[in-house]
Formats: sequence, structure tokens, C-alpha cells
Amino acid sequence: MSMRSQVYEWSNLQANANQLRRTTSDAAVAVVANREYDIFTGGIGNNITKPAETTATQFIVIEDVASSPILGAAVQIRINTTDYFQNPDVTDMVGIPGLASPYPRGANSTLNVALATAGAVGSENILKSFDLYPDVYVLPGQTFQILYSQRVASDATSTQIVSAFLKYTLYDGPDALIANKLLELGVTINPNNVDWYKRSLIEQQQRSRAVAGGQA
Amino acid sequence: MSMRSQVYEWDASRGTAMTVATYIGQRISIFVGGVGNNITKPAETTATEFVVIEDIACTPMLGTHSEVTNDTNIRGLLTDKGIAGPRAYVQVRINTTDYFLDPDNIPNDGIPGAGSPYPRSINFQPSFNLYPDVYVLPGQVWDALVTFYNNSFAGTDAAANELMAFVKYTLYDGPDALIANKLLEMGISINPGNVDWYKRSLLQAQA
Repeated sequence: MSMRSQVYEWSNLQANANQLRRTTSDAAVAVVANREYDIFTGGIGNNITKPAETTATQFIVIEDVASSPILGAAVQIRINTTDYFQNPDVTDMVGIPGLASPYPRGANSTLNVALATAGAVGSENILKSFDLYPDVYVLPGQTFQILYSQRVASDATSTQIVSAFLKYTLYDGPDALIANKLLELGVTINPNNVDWYKRSLIEQQQRSRAVAGGQA
Repeated sequence: MSMRSQVYEWDASRGTAMTVATYIGQRISIFVGGVGNNITKPAETTATEFVVIEDIACTPMLGTHSEVTNDTNIRGLLTDKGIAGPRAYVQVRINTTDYFLDPDNIPNDGIPGAGSPYPRSINFQPSFNLYPDVYVLPGQVWDALVTFYNNSFAGTDAAANELMAFVKYTLYDGPDALIANKLLEMGISINPGNVDWYKRSLLQAQA
């Protein structure tokens, strides 16, 4: 199990601040406008024990990021201290809008907080306009953050529930070494190419053995 | 029939219907958890079987806002605390190891139903595909564990379609399981196409 598909889902549901596990008493908490929340250690919603980072024997390939398509939500990827998504003038931006990469897919883009009925949820089914390709690489020893922000603050009484989603592949042990090798070679890192590299190593060994056997 | 596409669908209402208050926040095995439809013994591969899990999914959820009246039906899901649906997750466990981890390397609840919904619809579409696949080697025990956190159920017991999970896998047995092991050694993805390719290459080598 050295190549594993992984996901991380965050939402503004919590029973206490800095909560690590989801609980059955979680309820929506307000999200401030135009503030970046790290979905791993941002203090609201479900969090993890420490900032997300790769060890010396891990390699992460981020394949998808998404967020709720309401309230002008967006997600940015930060590797160490560098934001991945930039404006054309190389200034900071909020990242991928939830309208372009919605989570859940097919979700509504409007939510009427004045209604407590099913009519509160818009009838739209937002689909993705964005594919994270090429993927984003987190090299061994790097720290990464997924920063969620929204342009519009949560309603003071009818707190909207928002989410963010991350899909990545974790390579560890020998597969992380191969991922590094592929990076050096300029080959895209994905499970197929890691398998291809393994096969080519095996074939090389077999050829060497055959040559050695022929000489003996 | 040595490579067979298989599915397993679990519904918390079938067999022994799940009592919501007892199981909310708890991990439930979809095979032998004691609620919903179950099988006779834990899922395991024999010495001559190889299982490749290709997809897992569970009932989705949709966040609305905190003041939506409880039990409002939104897109086919009942609402509680503004969350439509059971807020369910599904984890794969091989022997005693959970497959899905958080970035701090601690096992998490697994794949959210919102990311991999079952059933799929226009309203609920997948954000996740299980690639690379999960391999269950000969002699291993495996399980799919559902956890849900929201009481979006009409009654005290789960009703039909309120909490479901789905697993799609391919079962290789006999000679095809041996070939699957060989492909694994060679670092080749195990799928029916590659198993057939290996068989063809053996036949060509003999000819």
C-alpha cells in the first residue's frame, strides 16, 4: 500500500473550537469574510493534529481541490509559503472559486437564509469548470496548506454550512523515491508512471542477468 | 468465471434495522456490523483469491443553513441541524489497517458520501474515484466501515435508503489470482485487461 488515494473533507461544523474529530453534536459556526482558514489547522471545523507536511519518505500529488459554490467561497493551495494560484500580474488571489470547482458536485449555488423550508436551497446543480491538471506536487519535507476563504460572511443567525474538499495521492517508501526520480526525469507523477518505472527497473535487471549469464 | 465483477450494497434498514441513537457516531461494518443486511462471516480472501476494490460510496449529504426546519426533505434527504443527509463516511480496512488517512497520518472516517455518493444523481455527483485501486491479497480480511454523524432519519430506526453504502470490486480466483499476484510483483496494475495481457504473453511465449 505505498500509493494511496486519499481525501480530506472540511466543513464549518464543530462542537468546540480546534476540534480534531467529527462529533454528533457538531453545528455550523460562522465564517468571517475574506479571511483565509487553513482547513487542516485553521481552528474551526474539523482539524488535524499538526500542519500537513510530507516526511522525508513521502511524496504527495494533489489532484483536486473544491469548495462550496455559495458565498463566494474559494480554495488556495499553499506550499511552504508560496501560494499556487496567482493573478496574471503575479499578485495574490483567493484561489479556485467554488463555482468553478464545486463540492459536493451538483450542489446549489444559492441559499436563501430567510426560508426554513426546502425552498431555501436553490435548484441549480453546479458542475465543475476546472480540473487541477497538471497536478500539484508536495515534495518530501514540504508543508502544505489548503486555504478556504469566502467573499461573503456567514449569516448572523442562519449560519450557512460550507465545505472544502481535497483529493490527493500519497506515495510513501520506495514509491516516493520513484516519484522523486520521475520528477527529475520530467515525467508526470501518477500511479501508472510509477508502475511503468518499476517495470522498467525489473526489465533492466532481467537484461543484466541475461547478459551476465551469457558471459559465464 | 475466474475474474468476476462484484458489488455489495448495504442498507441500514434491511435485515436488522439500525437503531439510530445507538449507532450514530459509531463505526459500522457493512458486512458483519449486526445492523442492516449482513453476510455470514467477515469478508476475506482465501489462498486462491485476490480482490481489487475499485469503488466505494455511501449516502451523500448537503449543507444548507442552521435554521432550516428539522426533517425538511431537501433533494431526497431529511435535514437535521441544517445538514441534509446522514453526514456519512466509509473507510476501507485491510486486516487491522485503515486505508484512508489524514495528512497527519492518523486514520480518518474515510470517504465522505458527498465526495463519493451512492446512489449517484444529478444532485449528487462524485468528486472522488478510487484510483489506484485497493488490493486485498490472498489470506487477508477486509471490511468497509460506515460512520454517520447526523440524525437525519424519519424514525428511531433507519428506513429504506436513509443510510446506504456500496462497494464495487473484482474477484480474481484460481489461476487468475496467481496471475494477479504475478502482476503485483511486476508492478503492473491489476485489472482484467492486464490479466488477459499476461495470459496472452504466456501463450505467445509457448508458441
